[in-house]
Amino acid sequence: MKAFEEVNRALEDEELQLALGKASLSSQLKVEEVLRSRPELAELAKEVREIKKRSIARLDELIEQAMNSLRAVKATPHFAEGAERAREIVGKLVGSGKLVVLSKSMAAAEVGLREHLQSLGNEVWETDLGELLVQLEGSKPMHTITPAVHMTRRRAMELLRKAGARVEGESIEAAVRAAREFLREKIVRAHVGITGANALAADTGALVTVENESNIRLVSGAPPLHIAIVPVDKIVPTLMDAVKVAMVQAAYAGLYPPTYINIVAGPSSTADIERTRVYGAQGPVEQHVVLLDNGRLAARGGPFEEQLLCVRCGRCQYECPVWVHTANHWGGPVYGGPMGLAWTAITHDELEAGKLSFLCLGCGRCDEACPVSIPISRMARELRRRALTLGKP
Amino acid sequence: MPLEPAAAAQLVAENMRRSGFPLPAPSDVAYAWARPLNLPARGSPMLYTGALYQLMPYAVSLLEYTSRLEGTAVSSLALKVSRYFTQLAAIAIRPDERLKAYVERVLRSIVRLLERSGIKVAYPYEDDLYSGALLYDLGLDELFAEQAKKVYKALKARGAQEVITVDPHTTHMLRSIYPKYVDGFDLTVRSYLEVLSVSPSQAGKGEVVIHDPCLYARWENVVEQPRRLLEGAGYQVLEPRRSRRMTYCCGGPIEGIAPKMAKKIARVRLAELSERSKHIVTLCPICYVNLWGAAEGEKVSDIALLLAGEEG
Ligand code: SF4
Repeated sequence: MKAFEEVNRALEDEELQLALGKASLSSQLKVEEVLRSRPELAELAKEVREIKKRSIARLDELIEQAMNSLRAVKATPHFAEGAERAREIVGKLVGSGKLVVLSKSMAAAEVGLREHLQSLGNEVWETDLGELLVQLEGSKPMHTITPAVHMTRRRAMELLRKAGARVEGESIEAAVRAAREFLREKIVRAHVGITGANALAADTGALVTVENESNIRLVSGAPPLHIAIVPVDKIVPTLMDAVKVAMVQAAYAGLYPPTYINIVAGPSSTADIERTRVYGAQGPVEQHVVLLDNGRLAARGGPFEEQLLCVRCGRCQYECPVWVHTANHWGGPVYGGPMGLAWTAITHDELEAGKLSFLCLGCGRCDEACPVSIPISRMARELRRRALTLGKP
Repeated sequence: MPLEPAAAAQLVAENMRRSGFPLPAPSDVAYAWARPLNLPARGSPMLYTGALYQLMPYAVSLLEYTSRLEGTAVSSLALKVSRYFTQLAAIAIRPDERLKAYVERVLRSIVRLLERSGIKVAYPYEDDLYSGALLYDLGLDELFAEQAKKVYKALKARGAQEVITVDPHTTHMLRSIYPKYVDGFDLTVRSYLEVLSVSPSQAGKGEVVIHDPCLYARWENVVEQPRRLLEGAGYQVLEPRRSRRMTYCCGGPIEGIAPKMAKKIARVRLAELSERSKHIVTLCPICYVNLWGAAEGEKVSDIALLLAGEEG
């Protein structure tokens, strides 16, 4: 079966098996430790579940409000019904012959943004180190938070050197230093910076992102044009809510405290001369926010609605007995593992997700791991049911 | 991939229609073990096994058989010729004899343990029907609903009010899933591990490491009782890194669809368990078979045999 060929290859890949075993163990221990030492985070996760549930229930209204709030802070909102429309909007804003820097965004991957911008004749670089390695390798992100989880240091060095980064020595530190120099130069010269968001606050139009590398703040803060691509399920009522979402995402990804939580509401500006507000101070002159639907609105009221609560922490992946042998080679073309099944059904193709769902053990570890208590294994069963009754795979 | 999921599902559905079991097995597979016991065939509490233990020796043989098909033309053809394929499979399947003897000992031990706790059970013999657990897991909902109604009706007709189950899958089906599929479902369902009386802990039998089955641990809250029972029987119970609600699957549920993956998962779990003890105790026939099949020197025991003092 074609859908499982990729999985079978992954099983034979000794290096991958070793890397995943190590990464999943360290992630599991890290998250456990964070949650044990800070019991308030589990409480916050419960609150975030309620926030997201309420948001999904009144999403149309929140989209409207978010668009108005974005206009109020001098950002330009766009609405993209599908992947193609999103590519078109961003493609028009960027044009061609530009230098574009991206910060890791699953939404950008979902719509195939990097490839699209390249096809228009732009030079495009990922700035998250893991995502850069994935770009250089020509593969796809293997985990929601740690996209290059499958790579050894040797492979990473090899890729960086091939791209022209000056890696001196064989240490991981040397690789990181080289990547920093390599990317710095691009970020400074970039015409456009493209980010995702962990949450968008409807009340203020503020985008909240959480990170450790500081590349998101550079990408959203340095180039004259900032474009954010934000799936509509990330809209929450208030800025406080948005920060809570980011905190929970970081905690359940085992990155706590997160080094940076960024809040960006509109382009940079100054009113230092005669108290006259002028947009485009040190940061972007213009900011555009593309709200991406791509199946999400239609998923409401359906069997996979609860996946819309997902904060993309990736914990279900590291905790899944199947995923730790496959990484994102299983679960769908963009989103992988337990969370990938329903996301694939929502944003891509239900039947494909259905076929993949037969590899799910139904063991429920993902349900237990999920900060927002998404019944992931129950949805996987529903995918199987529908695959068998609706379309004969 | 020995069987495409849809082909496997068709095979299961076809077998259900033919024999009432999800895989080829003789018609007395569920109750042959209980013949010599002469338990009352009506009454309450009713011991209901749902045939899961008894089917495992046939499942093991069937899976051996289908794994041999891996990469052959038969596996891709299976979808189209499932009727033929089922007959073919039916002829080829002989139960794993060692396992058959083992599960029969487990079931007889359970009856003895219940008696020791002062619980006299009835047993439905021909009506110890398959619970439909696999149908539910695969998403064959119509077949499952049909089966659930059939099982409920049969148990009621034999006078059951309280049902005592012997494995996590059947317990989960009857207790948590049947009520959603059977109108007016009113049976009280408990696992035998929940009704046995616990003796005060004693020492002397050595250490075992416990492998919580996912359904007991995460859905049915059968977590502390097995530990107390083992301690009462003289065992020191050790916990693996991942236990209780965060227990780790044995890989068994995908054995039929992805045996290589299932084996890898079992090895991960075995390694983790044997860090604590080389003697592993299981509470579920699927866990038992999958861990036992992947064991490399570890000893795997079903809890019932340890509690009954039948295995040390
Ligand atoms: S489904 Fe839950 S655990 Fe998985 S990525 Fe989403 S929020 Fe995290």
